[in-house]
Amino acid sequence: MLAIKTALAGTVAVALMATAALAEPKTNMLHQWSQGSDAAAIAKLGEMFTAAGGKWEQTSIAGHTANTLAKLRADVVAGNAPPAVQLKGPEIAEWNATGMTANLDDLANKEGWDKVVAPELLPVMKPTGDWVAAPMNIHRINWIWASTKAMEKAGIKELPKTWAEFNADCDKAVAAHLICLAHFSQDWTDSTTFEVVLYGMDEGLFKKAFVEGDTSAMRSDGMIKAFEQFRTMVSKYMDPAIAGRDYDTTTSMIAKNEAVFMIMGDWQIGIFAAAGLKSPEDYKCAQAPTDWGKPGFILNSDSVVFFKQKDPDYVEGQKLLAHLILSPEFQTVFNQAKGSIPARLDVDLSKGFNPCQQLSQKDLQASIADGMLVRSMAHNMTILQKYRGAIMEVITSFVNTPNMSAKDAANAMADAVEAQK
Amino acid sequence: MANALSGLTAVRKPASGRDVLTAWLPRLVILPSALASFIYVFVFTLWTLYVSMSNSSLLPTYQFVGLKPYLELWSNQRWTIAYSNLFLFSALYVILALAIGLALAIAIDQRVKGEAIWRTIFLYPLAVSFIVTGTVWSWLYSPNAGIEFLVRSLGWHDFTFRLTTSKDTAIYAIIATGVWQSSGFAMALFLAGLRSVDPDLVKAAQIDGAGPARIYRRVILPSIVPIFVAVIVVLLQFAIKTFDLVVALTGGGPGISTTFPAIYVYDLMFQRGQIAIGAAASIMILLALAVVLVPYAVWTTWRSRRGAAGG
Amino acid sequence: MVSATYDPTLDPHARSANLRFALGRIAVYAFLGFFAIIYLIPLFVIVANSFRELPEISRNGLIALPQSLSLKAWPQTWSHYCVAGTCEGIQRNFYNSLVMTIPATILSTMLGAINGYVLSKWRFPGSETLFALMTLGVFMPGQIALLPWAFILGSIGLSNTVAGLILVHVVQGLSFTTLFCRNYYVNVPDDLIKAARIDGAGFWRIFWKIILPISPPILIVTVIWQFTGIWNEYLFGVVFTGGRQQPITAALVALASTNAMNARAYDVASCAVLIAAIPPLLIYFFGGKYFVRGLTQGAIK
Repeated sequence: MLAIKTALAGTVAVALMATAALAEPKTNMLHQWSQGSDAAAIAKLGEMFTAAGGKWEQTSIAGHTANTLAKLRADVVAGNAPPAVQLKGPEIAEWNATGMTANLDDLANKEGWDKVVAPELLPVMKPTGDWVAAPMNIHRINWIWASTKAMEKAGIKELPKTWAEFNADCDKAVAAHLICLAHFSQDWTDSTTFEVVLYGMDEGLFKKAFVEGDTSAMRSDGMIKAFEQFRTMVSKYMDPAIAGRDYDTTTSMIAKNEAVFMIMGDWQIGIFAAAGLKSPEDYKCAQAPTDWGKPGFILNSDSVVFFKQKDPDYVEGQKLLAHLILSPEFQTVFNQAKGSIPARLDVDLSKGFNPCQQLSQKDLQASIADGMLVRSMAHNMTILQKYRGAIMEVITSFVNTPNMSAKDAANAMADAVEAQK
Repeated sequence: MANALSGLTAVRKPASGRDVLTAWLPRLVILPSALASFIYVFVFTLWTLYVSMSNSSLLPTYQFVGLKPYLELWSNQRWTIAYSNLFLFSALYVILALAIGLALAIAIDQRVKGEAIWRTIFLYPLAVSFIVTGTVWSWLYSPNAGIEFLVRSLGWHDFTFRLTTSKDTAIYAIIATGVWQSSGFAMALFLAGLRSVDPDLVKAAQIDGAGPARIYRRVILPSIVPIFVAVIVVLLQFAIKTFDLVVALTGGGPGISTTFPAIYVYDLMFQRGQIAIGAAASIMILLALAVVLVPYAVWTTWRSRRGAAGG
Repeated sequence: MVSATYDPTLDPHARSANLRFALGRIAVYAFLGFFAIIYLIPLFVIVANSFRELPEISRNGLIALPQSLSLKAWPQTWSHYCVAGTCEGIQRNFYNSLVMTIPATILSTMLGAINGYVLSKWRFPGSETLFALMTLGVFMPGQIALLPWAFILGSIGLSNTVAGLILVHVVQGLSFTTLFCRNYYVNVPDDLIKAARIDGAGFWRIFWKIILPISPPILIVTVIWQFTGIWNEYLFGVVFTGGRQQPITAALVALASTNAMNARAYDVASCAVLIAAIPPLLIYFFGGKYFVRGLTQGAIK
């Protein structure tokens, strides 16, 4: 009896090994998270992939996103499309339109992604109705951060809820000889701050102008008012050296309590953590000011797109990778370090997540319920890159040209977008 | 060349197989390189030209649309800024690097002690990549942590040195940094040239009573004109390809004031998925180059024809 | 060269001439010294920052007299730091760059020497035009060549391989190396070649016996130029390799990236810059003399 059992077990084992040997999942993920905590997060994904029996390879490209996209295009032109690429927003739709992307519907239906992924992300991940991308996280753009000690020094009791309160708080800060808003001028940071201002002042206008790309919305009075508020912030509440400054110096302005506020997305949590700051002792977080009083959310999401492959090992690897990315385990581990929240709505954030992240998830649910959730233009989640690039150029020119009027900026923005059509 | 060969073989038997091979061997040897260069220069440029008149967006596609991408390109304010930056940068960069390189070479040529050390000091920037140069100088130009900060902390509280924070002066920061990187090269070339000037000419001028400044102006500099040309060629090709330096130093900012054509081409082709317009911009870069190269080619041909005719 | 019988201190003209001479010397040294300081400041900053501790750098700024001293950053940069996707430091990138740069430099130099030899000593109808064409390659910006190269490499099956990248650098380097070598060999007297041919020497024999022995100055110039250019090149190195083959410039950009949404390690970045600069600097250091000599003969025309 024992002999038969052993023989059976042996046969089963051999059969299993044989099937496993048929397709060895392997992958080579192309991404731009090349150093620091980003790289560590990807390394985690690699560990999980290897632990699940796959062969992990990755190509990380530093610098501007353009470098990663250049490599993607070169590989596609060479006939060698990468099995997995970090792509986001409207680019997913563009590459899908080339017909080269792989279809993940089988896996998605089996694991029920439609039910657990945030609804605003679905049209981005399924541009023509089929799943082609796996979302890794949800970033919130509309945060305002504050140095606790600087707030005390300026006599500001709590973080401003509306833009009028923001201006009043800033006047107090300036009177206390502090810099009100820590900022560094690059096209993406100027645009991040501006879209937060616009969203906070007029959420409907944001949807029309920055999500739908409507140029008459860009010329409207609401846009001009947003530029005027932005001008006040740039000229009165930021300091003159914003153009030559880098990210770390800006963070240290908050860390050293030289500046009161900073408007930046939730990855700032990871950066504060690396600098040894804790909330709420060293910094506080709150939703960036809105004039319409409800929880709001500007969303950014990193995702992985899969390109059709001929090699069956790569095809298996894609399925494994997609499965891992959407797994609650990876979503938890990946997002804890980065300051973002999982793309799955059913992950429990009570352990290991920072109070600001927990607030982020609460506000996400609330803004979905109220219909106030939007995707970010500055972080490439809405309009095509050619329009977005044109808009960002106008915004950053506005910041660096003190005598450009709000009206001129609004019109220049509309003109630039129309020129690309 | 056929004549030269027949001159040698006239006294022997007529052209044998071996002689034919000798005649063709050089051409065979250079054939692979010639082919590779032809493809690299011509075919790539022609491909770019065709794509610049196609409807390519995300990936190259080949439907002809005429000059539309060029019109779209020139209606972009960022392109006109980039194009004018290229000319401004190239002119000042070449002139300043030439001037400083020449001045340093003349200074070292005065038989100073420790020439090898001086030479190494001025040459080492060339060994470093533009990315590193741009990054380190961006640190130095930063008002809160760089040179301005340092000088202010030493007591001069009103000192300002913030070229990169204003959109009117940032381009000069780029020019200055470029000159810092490349004037050592100009210096090396000029130094070698100064050393190879015919000493008899100099002695004759000295005997005639000319002072050092005059000797330099009238005798030495004119005899190293070919070196000027060589330096300008090398500096110019650095200027055309300006990319890494600007991206590392200012990122094209403040705003878009220091954007350059090569950066915009890269952005259009790869970030924004507008390959046709990117190709059009590339052709414009090559045209800007032709503006300098064609007169030069004409001048050299005219000079060598005149030399050949005059004997 | 003042003679023993002539005492300049007694001659008023000579005295003022000596004074002028001395002032002139001071002016020259001051001029050189001033520029030397400007040239050396960045080097000082980098070296200092590679030995300072990161919290102290963040506190006191990037150019400050070092108030901390630590060798920690060096081994960390070389073998532990998480950059370019793995946590093995930059040593792999360093070796990748060596494996890529050395063959490309040697190949393009050799080909350049042979091409220069052909174009200067074995002229044929059209050789001057060919030379002009090859020289044009010097001016091609990389962004234009990127997609066509990708296509070609893909078609011949060398996409994402080191061999493919070497091919790209060799073809692009041919323009420079041929230019330098041809201009150098043009100065070799034609009579030397003619005499050798009358003695029965053929194409290759003349190359080995006559041309190569006098080539070291220009070969060194070419090697220095190519090595530095290829070693410091970023775009093609990153786009045409993948995964574990990325060159050192990829790591440098990762460390220096101003776009990074996380804290930057200035100490590691400074170490990486220094490590990356060592090979080209070594070559400049040892070949510097020849560089100046070879350049002048290779660059006139």
